[in-house]
Amino acid sequence: MTVLDIRNLSVSYATPRGELKALREVSMTVPERSIVGIVGESGCGKSTLISAIIRLMAPNAQVGAGSVAFKGDDLLTLADAQMRALRGTEISMVFQDPMQTHNPVLTVGRQMMDIQYRDALSKAEKRKRAADMLALVGIPDAQARLNQYPFEFSGGMRQRIAIAMALMAKPSLLIADEPTTALDATLEVQIIKRLRELQDDIGCSILFISHHLGVIAELCDEVVVMYAGEVVEAGSVRDVFHSPAHPYTRALLECDPGHIKEKTRNLPTIPGSIPDMVNLPGGCIFADRCPMRFEACATRPAMAEARTGHKAACHLIKVEETA
Amino acid sequence: MRDASLPKRRSELGEILYHLVRDPLGLAGLVIVMLILASAIFAPLIAPYDPIALNVPDRLQGPSTAHLMGTDQLGRDTFSRVIWGGRVALQVALPTIGGAIFFGLLLGMIAGYGPKWLDNLIVLVFDTIRSFPTVMFALAVVALVGPSLNTVIVVIMVTSIPTYGRVVRTLTQSLKEAEFITAEKSLGASTPRIMAVHILPNVLGPLAVLAAMDIPTVVGLEAGLSFLGMGVKPPTPSWGSLLNDGYNLIRNTPWLIIAGGIPLILTTIGFTFLGEALRDVVDPKLRGKGGK
Repeated sequence: MTVLDIRNLSVSYATPRGELKALREVSMTVPERSIVGIVGESGCGKSTLISAIIRLMAPNAQVGAGSVAFKGDDLLTLADAQMRALRGTEISMVFQDPMQTHNPVLTVGRQMMDIQYRDALSKAEKRKRAADMLALVGIPDAQARLNQYPFEFSGGMRQRIAIAMALMAKPSLLIADEPTTALDATLEVQIIKRLRELQDDIGCSILFISHHLGVIAELCDEVVVMYAGEVVEAGSVRDVFHSPAHPYTRALLECDPGHIKEKTRNLPTIPGSIPDMVNLPGGCIFADRCPMRFEACATRPAMAEARTGHKAACHLIKVEETA
Repeated sequence: MRDASLPKRRSELGEILYHLVRDPLGLAGLVIVMLILASAIFAPLIAPYDPIALNVPDRLQGPSTAHLMGTDQLGRDTFSRVIWGGRVALQVALPTIGGAIFFGLLLGMIAGYGPKWLDNLIVLVFDTIRSFPTVMFALAVVALVGPSLNTVIVVIMVTSIPTYGRVVRTLTQSLKEAEFITAEKSLGASTPRIMAVHILPNVLGPLAVLAAMDIPTVVGLEAGLSFLGMGVKPPTPSWGSLLNDGYNLIRNTPWLIIAGGIPLILTTIGFTFLGEALRDVVDPKLRGKGGK
């Protein structure tokens, strides 16, 4: 069963220059009890996508078409109050910068008790639950630490508190927006491990956004590669990372510093830059920067199956099939 | 029921007080403010004479054991008038500041969080009020409806609302965009909850500082209006009318104007100290770092 099923979602921003088409016909699914990664460079629409899922979009954003089905209900057509009822209980989110995600003037305990406002529990019970959650994410001496303010915690601990708050109500879907980007490498590993364990315990699905390929490979079951507002490749982590079908994915993997074997002065980059999303070029979105461009690239490629469960939006797949 | 195993923890107010008295500036401010409050509350007990009782034979006496600050031109005991004048000053200042905080918070949060058109409207009202010099505005209103304590309170309150409202509005606007607000929304917080639980506590601290600093201004305004004869009606004692009485007789009986001036100076110093110290204490992050 799929927890999240996004179909042909298009989102645009009204800008002074015109309509910026931030997401174009994005389709992806998050199966039950699985971790799906979204990877792509800055500006590829990752953040727009998650803000559309949880419906906390910028005021100038507009959903053009498509649906976001969560357990069968289209989130985009829910009333505001219904959507709010889902947030924090069924869908919750962890943000990128743990230094910014807590109210600075309230103690952690107060905040963790406050988010349980929907539950008819006594204060002591809520406090107990908050302490249990803190212990679960690996914060020692949880009872006492509930009385502390966010600034009394380190970045890694704050991110764990954020995770504890997000998982408090045992949601079905956790959206993690680059939760380890602001942390150093050792903490990153700890958080990733903890997330994996918690996901196992709670049985939720995780939609994990990152531009760090190593983390995606470590944590996720499936991965979706986005480029300039489109999904260019999707499949299991193994398939996508070991035999990428889209030239963009290949280029992205080559740029990962983890892949570089020899000492070099210049880190590899993908030549060119992201197309102007207000005035989009016709045809394949990656054609301008693609080393393998050919005539067919003047038309927009559809998602094609490279192998079972592994799709990419590239004309080369068909060429290879016929060859 | 309290869990016995929980470590001891002071309430938020207790925490603020604890750190306030450890700061010498805060302690001094707090003591002065408490003295002023106490003398106003217990005025009938402290004042040795009736502040409006005439005793013409004893007029214009210098300071003595019988009359600590002497007597005025009608033989009234100046010390008693100073004590009772404090009552009038606080009767004006507290409701004024209270009302200004209440409406400032309400309007400021609506302007900061609400739709753009409402923000524009509220800011327009604020700017209109602020474009009048307070004293001129007060004089005009008093000329229209006649001098009284209530007129003074309403006029000063209305002209103070924009000061508070603008601070609240600016703070709310920046908080609205803060990531923790988005994070709370993503956990299902409704707009009223965000305003009450998350924005309000972040705004209250700076507002308390502003209010403490503002009390002397309001007390001074009341004294000013009373000095001009536009405030409280005689024979009600006010620090402003004391100054006025003293001003007329400054050559012969300087203690009168000094007696009216000292409480004003003390009020200013006390509340300013308190405000300064509060600023370091209301932010939990700065607690214990400002004081030595």
